[in-house]
Amino acid sequence: MAGGKQNKLSREEELLLQDFSRNVSTKSSALFYGNALIVSAIPMWLFWRIHQMDLYQSAIIFIIGTIVSTYFVAMAYRNVKFILKHKIALKREDAVAKEMMKKLADDKRMTKKEKDERVLWKKNEVADYEATTFSIFYNNSLYLVLLIVASFYILKNFNPVLNYGCSVASAAGLLALFSTSSKA
Amino acid sequence: MAATGKVLVVIGLFLLPVLTYGDTCLAPHVKSQTYSTPEAIVSTETVLIVEFTVTCKNGLKNINLYADIGGRTLPATKTSEANKYQISITDEHKKLPSGSYNLRIFDEEGFAALRKAQRSGESTDSLKPLFTITMSHPGIWSGPMVQSEFVAAMSAIVVWWLAYTARSKLLA
Amino acid sequence: MKLWVSALLLTVGCFLPSFGEEESEARLLVSKNILNQYLVEGKDLTVDYKIFNVGSRVAFDVRLKDSSFPESSFSTVSGNLQVSWERIAPNSNVSHAVILRPLKSGYFNFTSAELSYLLSEDATERTVGYTSFPGEGGIVPEREFDRRFSPHVLDWLVFAFMTLPSLGIPFLLWYSSKSRYDPAKAKRN
Repeated sequence: MAGGKQNKLSREEELLLQDFSRNVSTKSSALFYGNALIVSAIPMWLFWRIHQMDLYQSAIIFIIGTIVSTYFVAMAYRNVKFILKHKIALKREDAVAKEMMKKLADDKRMTKKEKDERVLWKKNEVADYEATTFSIFYNNSLYLVLLIVASFYILKNFNPVLNYGCSVASAAGLLALFSTSSKA
Repeated sequence: MAATGKVLVVIGLFLLPVLTYGDTCLAPHVKSQTYSTPEAIVSTETVLIVEFTVTCKNGLKNINLYADIGGRTLPATKTSEANKYQISITDEHKKLPSGSYNLRIFDEEGFAALRKAQRSGESTDSLKPLFTITMSHPGIWSGPMVQSEFVAAMSAIVVWWLAYTARSKLLA
Repeated sequence: MKLWVSALLLTVGCFLPSFGEEESEARLLVSKNILNQYLVEGKDLTVDYKIFNVGSRVAFDVRLKDSSFPESSFSTVSGNLQVSWERIAPNSNVSHAVILRPLKSGYFNFTSAELSYLLSEDATERTVGYTSFPGEGGIVPEREFDRRFSPHVLDWLVFAFMTLPSLGIPFLLWYSSKSRYDPAKAKRN
């Protein structure tokens, strides 16, 4: 509470920014890209071991595929997170407020306004955290479904290189598409 | 003269078993090697092969041998190597199930007795073969029951479906 | 069964020596078949021969020799490519099988094996015939076969292990937060 008003106002500003734009902070952006990279690199294993692609010969297509896929997967993470965050914020509102009020009840020095701000900030934090983690989980699971179905069923008889290119591109592309369109 | 004749007959009687023993393989030493179809892609029918080399104590060579496997009798095939024989049995997968198979090997004499017993409908179990080879057939592997990628796809779909219902609840 | 009966009919044409004559001697028909569903480099190749005596006399000293498998392309797993039978009675058949292993992939033309026999025990001239020929077959490279048919159980397990953290960690993080704030709401309802 030493920081005083100055600090809280800036936090509120930050909160507003986070709430109303799709732009995410560098920290969560790094988190998205890191996760997207991991999940995009996994297909390489399947194509190397099961579709018998040569790891060195296909290095270039593997790298391109992974980068393109990372971009689209990260985009899907962001979109789903954005859609989810408001809904989650509404759902968790009361529970978070209750918890925060209980916690801050003893603090006599804090004004009502300050407490409200703290609650608002916490609400944002909880919603952000849940939306981020859930978005990663949801998109990863959908990505794997799309990838397996594409590479082992739809494109089964294609040659491995084409199979890799098409299945990774379509899995990542569809993931990004679904993340923007479906609101229900 | 009559006495010498009698003596000859007696000698002949003594010689008889020795002479007949001449065509019988004594104390056969058998080395065998077996093969059975391991998986369905390799053959549409089950093939059992027994290759064996027989060494007789009395040095008998190139004899004709016959095999009896659960009622089927067939001649042992001679190979280009001396005293090496091969027996091949080919039949549908169902008719040659996994398990152990006893190959009773007979020589000409034993085979004749076997045929006689078979014709008169008697049991051939009491007939003593020259030797017996046992082979085991571990059975045919006809591929996995379910494809791995099917299991993988199904598990991925289940996880995604759980994620999807959770998402729907959050968005409700 | 039907397959090799038809193969036999084809073979009849190959055995002209005594065709049209009275069937008063031994006459052998041989089929040679590859029993494989797939011909794969490094996997067993099953060759099955069936010899029928359709004549009315016994065939003596029947010799079957298959020199259509060059050593550079095939190794023998079990069985012999040069065999003989003392006699084959009329209206009976014998079967023979050889297991080989293709060492190379690619197309291979499976040709016929040679059969010779004596019409009588003291005949000097051997009657020669040929088996049916299975024809050209493509031997699949091991790698290609593996790609299409191997179950890759271990590879899939490793895959599952790799995907587990990318699904499990975000899920657990989300779930712990959800269960922290959700029950409170549930209680009120």
